[in-house]
Amino acid sequence: MFNRIRLVATREFLTTVTSKGFLIGVFVMPLIGLALTFAIPKIMAQRGAQITVEVALIESSGTLADTLRRELDPEVIIARRNAGRRAAMEQAAPGTGDMAEKAPTPQLTVPKFIVKVLPAGSTADAEKGWLTAQDIGERARRALLVVPPEAITQASPGTDYGLYQLYAPRNLPEDAEDMLQDAMRVTLTTERLRAGGLDPALVQKATHVPQPRTVVVAPDGRRQAPAGLNRALPFIMGILLFMGVMIGGQALMTSTIEEKSSRVVEVLLAAVSPLELMWGKLLGQLGVGLVMMSVYITLGVLALMQFAMFGLLDPLLILWLLVFFLVAYLVFGALMLAIGAAVSQLADAQSLMGPVMMLLITPYILTPFIGRQPDSTFSVVASFIPPISPFVILARLASSSPPPVWQVLLSLAVSVGGACIAVWFAAKVFRIGLLLHGKPPSFGTLIKWARMS
Amino acid sequence: MQTALKLQGVEKSFGEQKAVTALELTVPSGETCGLIGPSGAGKTTSIRLIMSILFPDAGTVEVLGQASALQAKDRIGYLPEERGVYRKMKVWAFLKYLAGLKGMPEAKSQPRAKELLAALGLDDILQKRCEDLSKGMLQRVQFVGSILHQPELLILDEPFSGLDPVSVRALKGVISAERRRGTTILFSTHVMAQAEELCDRVVMIHKGRKVLDEPMASLRRRYDPTRVLFEPLDANASLAVLRDVPGVVSLQQRDGEAELSLAKGTDPAAVIREAAARVVPARIEIARITLEDVFVGIVRGQSGAESEAALRQHLQGLSGEKA
Repeated sequence: MFNRIRLVATREFLTTVTSKGFLIGVFVMPLIGLALTFAIPKIMAQRGAQITVEVALIESSGTLADTLRRELDPEVIIARRNAGRRAAMEQAAPGTGDMAEKAPTPQLTVPKFIVKVLPAGSTADAEKGWLTAQDIGERARRALLVVPPEAITQASPGTDYGLYQLYAPRNLPEDAEDMLQDAMRVTLTTERLRAGGLDPALVQKATHVPQPRTVVVAPDGRRQAPAGLNRALPFIMGILLFMGVMIGGQALMTSTIEEKSSRVVEVLLAAVSPLELMWGKLLGQLGVGLVMMSVYITLGVLALMQFAMFGLLDPLLILWLLVFFLVAYLVFGALMLAIGAAVSQLADAQSLMGPVMMLLITPYILTPFIGRQPDSTFSVVASFIPPISPFVILARLASSSPPPVWQVLLSLAVSVGGACIAVWFAAKVFRIGLLLHGKPPSFGTLIKWARMS
Repeated sequence: MQTALKLQGVEKSFGEQKAVTALELTVPSGETCGLIGPSGAGKTTSIRLIMSILFPDAGTVEVLGQASALQAKDRIGYLPEERGVYRKMKVWAFLKYLAGLKGMPEAKSQPRAKELLAALGLDDILQKRCEDLSKGMLQRVQFVGSILHQPELLILDEPFSGLDPVSVRALKGVISAERRRGTTILFSTHVMAQAEELCDRVVMIHKGRKVLDEPMASLRRRYDPTRVLFEPLDANASLAVLRDVPGVVSLQQRDGEAELSLAKGTDPAAVIREAAARVVPARIEIARITLEDVFVGIVRGQSGAESEAALRQHLQGLSGEKA
């Protein structure tokens, strides 16, 4: 029996790891991903040569032009951009803000802005001809700003400030328009403060509170990771778990459908029992998942060593990752296997896959929240609900406040229980579904199969 | 004599539809048994029940002395009706895999695979991918897969369907060799001629029920030759004189051919000699009863409602691929 399971598993493993799909999925895709991450901003930034934007200003305060010129300085523009980028990264993937700061700044091609103040009495209407003039050179653009006095000084205390207007011909790039608007936002703030009798420099200093480098202090002195890594780790663990389970489950489903649709399954069933076949396939793809995980973990560890942060990673965490991967894989692998056995072709599998994918994606979406609030009631309760429990407890383990050991073990026990139920269910469906062809069954039918002896 | 296969009171339904009803079957070791009947008669279902790929609603299936085929898997060779291979796998990898699952080590399976493939006209395909082979080649590869591990019991579901005449002959040769080796063989077919040629015993299934189970020899004896077909060399010759040949009880003429019915106990040789003396023949032959005749007779006797012509036509249609 074990010999047959071993043979099935070996075939499954070798077929998958030597397939082009796997090689592309595991090695090429991440490489392409990395390449794009680094290359795209460069490519984007290098597109087109520098342009010159003449900005005509209609205003009456007299000081606005100087402030605007300062804010349109290329270095100031880049600094403002980077700050924005950091905030966006931090929002999307917690903990990566620091990395964004360390990553090389993409070379932005900032347009050269030339600000000139139009004589008093000029109107926007009168300048339209100047704005839309065509014969000003290929790299030259024009823009007109009209700033009424009430945009700087309140008409009467308590009322809103007035609006300024930006007039631009069609050929002004969106990027340049954004820079101009950003600069105007800062310029107007400065001018308004000054008009209100406040020192803009002081206000700026007073409102800027830099984010501190949080040092997590633990009683045993370990885990002194910078807050960034602590927040990114649950997220990274979630992705690894999700990908491992996803790739394995997908392969199990498609290989089962292939065996069914090519009718090779009947030959197999003459040699192995459905249970042996199922376990063989589960173990074979588990091997594939482990290979993939080790590739990514190795890459991750190498990356951490690069930044001299390897010491900050708890080796125990990798062990837990593998343990909970095993459990989560069994649950979703078994379900996908059951789906593969139940349908005759890939297209029919879509409707059955929906609920399973939901189960898989839910914890993936929850991971960042759980990583941020690992001790909330929700996080604790979710740690004990299979099949999302492995994802939740792993996110908590990776967070800055790991759960007590009893919770980890309880979660593991509950998850293993869930895995047993999933494998039992799959075994039933697998046995019945393998030889059935034709109309794909509904989930209700699958449950009916499972209840049949 | 040992029993290789014993089915008792086996029943199987799919929903409302009864696929197999009260099937009793005993195949002694070393015998070649043909399971015949038209498509949809329940042959494949019976075979799947024997293989424990399906499980009976009632009754018992004993295979090679075990309570089910599951306990004797390694000793059984099975060629299912629905043929399938792993398309991306190489032929040898696939065969090695099948033999391995049956517990045969590579050292033993490789020379045998080469030998069998050569016997079936498939040299040098071990390193080819399955998807690069034609359908007929794949079918032969699968057949090799089913006998590679030298099974004691060989179960073949429609082994000849879809094969060209040359391959059919090669396949029959390999099956005969297995038979001589002492392998018990059960094969299904709807082509009666193949069953007549290969079987020691014939089991007929019609609408899920066994309607005949008899050794081929006794079948032949039971349906003694009682008719002689006569075709004259001269199409215009008068055949009425044949009516007077001693032993002939009646004469029927159709399409310039005469069918002579003989009295019981008449020696057909004497009739043939005498008939040839009276009219110069182009062809004289004993009208051997075919399995098809037996089948039609049984089914008509049972249901009565079906017309013989319709039934024959149905069978003919089915055996259209007869080599």
